[in-house]
Amino acid sequence: MRKQLPNPYIPMLTEVVSITSENKVNDIKTIELKFKKEEDYKNFAYIPGQFAEISLIGKGECPIGIASSPTEEGTIKFTIKKMGTVTSGFHNCEVGDTVGIRGPCGNGWPMEDMKGKNIVVIGGGFAFSTLRSLVLYVLDEKYRKDYKDITVIYGNRDSGEVLYQDVLEEWDKRDDINVVLTIDREEEGWTRKVGFVAAIVKEVAPSPENAVAIICGPPIMIRTAVAELVELGWKDEQILNSLEMRMKCGIGKCGRCNIGNKFVCVDGPVFSLAELKKMPNEY
Amino acid sequence: MEQKILQKDQIAKLYIELSEEYNIYAPVKEKGNIVFKKISNSDQIELDYLNSKIPPKEVLFPQMEVLFEYKLDGKDVEIIDRQDLDEKILLFGVRPCDAYSFELVGNFFKAHGNWEDEIYLKKKENTTIIGMGCNSPRTTCFCTSVGGHPFQKDYIDLFLTDLGDKYLVEGISDKGKEIMQKLSWLSDAKEADVKKSEELAKQAEESFTTKFNFDLVTKVLGENFENPVWEEISESCIGCGSCTFLCPTCTCFDVIEENDKYNNRGRRIRIWDTCQSCLYTLETSGHNPRPDKIQRCRNRIMHKFSYYPENYNCLGCVGCGRCIQACPVNNELRIIIDKILEIEKEEDEKAVA
Repeated sequence: MRKQLPNPYIPMLTEVVSITSENKVNDIKTIELKFKKEEDYKNFAYIPGQFAEISLIGKGECPIGIASSPTEEGTIKFTIKKMGTVTSGFHNCEVGDTVGIRGPCGNGWPMEDMKGKNIVVIGGGFAFSTLRSLVLYVLDEKYRKDYKDITVIYGNRDSGEVLYQDVLEEWDKRDDINVVLTIDREEEGWTRKVGFVAAIVKEVAPSPENAVAIICGPPIMIRTAVAELVELGWKDEQILNSLEMRMKCGIGKCGRCNIGNKFVCVDGPVFSLAELKKMPNEY
Repeated sequence: MEQKILQKDQIAKLYIELSEEYNIYAPVKEKGNIVFKKISNSDQIELDYLNSKIPPKEVLFPQMEVLFEYKLDGKDVEIIDRQDLDEKILLFGVRPCDAYSFELVGNFFKAHGNWEDEIYLKKKENTTIIGMGCNSPRTTCFCTSVGGHPFQKDYIDLFLTDLGDKYLVEGISDKGKEIMQKLSWLSDAKEADVKKSEELAKQAEESFTTKFNFDLVTKVLGENFENPVWEEISESCIGCGSCTFLCPTCTCFDVIEENDKYNNRGRRIRIWDTCQSCLYTLETSGHNPRPDKIQRCRNRIMHKFSYYPENYNCLGCVGCGRCIQACPVNNELRIIIDKILEIEKEEDEKAVA
């Protein structure tokens, strides 16, 4: 007899413990969730780069990348941009509200394979959430020795859009990480870089030697930044992307997130450029 | 193998005996179409049919299905799981192609990723199939091209062959053999009956007019994702999705909430969705990876005949021909496959020249 499994569409229940507005225009918020049942939290063992299906019961469900790192124990965080019914619902949440969660879903960043390597993180806009998770993870005292040099290039439209100011400040204080922040246009009071992410990648010129590049951001940024890396001698296998697709179930059943014979929700969302080149250009 | 005879006027007896244990779903005539419905009386069963318009997948994977229910109480939420998955289902009169579809769908709901679709799989486990051979396949049928046969018994528990005024009955699986034993009043089959059933199977197999070389199709598809032929193939498609809704192996679904606001409760449901719809892949940002019918038509064909073989080493098609019959603009599979194979021919000609 087949092992009886629980209904995979039933969410575990969590409670909102904090809500943080992340940008000036206030359309991006980070919500922090605590599992109502301790055993659910134990079963929710995730790695950076994975996502979860989070839902407001009665409004609906959506897939969101996990912004917290597994090293931040006790709670999990999601950074959500206000877009439609469900995300707007999350923006109207209050502390104490119930949120459903299913997951963790997807493959996540290959934390094991990256051991002993230099890591170059390139992010743009609010796609930085799973990158926050990754950087916090590799900076954790338990894991820092497993990874070599860490470079973060993080670009935004303007200074008001820079997420996670608190952790960025922490990273600035450390000498074992190189954080390069950039915004698209000059702004009064801005002392960091100015220019598109691709241009900054060219300027920083990270070496492909024993390194992995992790790229997350809008499609145009990904294309241009990848082009610069290739120029610098990076191989397709060294460049990792996290893809987005419309999803419903998050567990490889509802069908819509396929690219060729792969499902982004279970085979991805992380693919190397080498893998992507083998897949049809339909994403 | 033990073979028995069921007289056609004994169907009522069979129904009475089996309905004690099972909810019986059988082909019934509704608004001029054959559909599989839960019956409460053996008179409802329609025995003179080729196949149902909507495949019996609908019984295990209904167009609308509850995933769970919920009650809202202030900031608290109570989730209520499905309690009805233990229903013992008996599907009566399923054709071999549709019986095979349950195998494919079951494997899909089990295979991809770490999660199993417990809702579907539990129902499948509780289902017994009484199948029926096809004495006269339709001109649109092509199960023999996808590894099937009008008398394929592999995915059927109890197999019936229509011998005119009676059925030859064979217990195939353990479930089916158990039912055979239970129906102790069935008379023994004579050698002539068995011989007749073999003849019928042979005749049926020989009567097929629609035949495809799917090995070649899969090969050509694998090399021609970007071929301009997709423009031609999708030209007349109106994106109605009939081909997918009526396909016994199509399982894509959407998930939505249904709320009863006055009573602070509701349910999360899944409903059939189709890759032929623009909204199916439309992302929140406005980006759509399959914005035109070219990509959407291609996705359906590639899924069945290229991605499925790549992932599961079999075709995602059972050859029932419903998509051929249902297409309102006659942009049907036979024409599409011809166009795809045309690519190969052209290339061969080029090579010769």
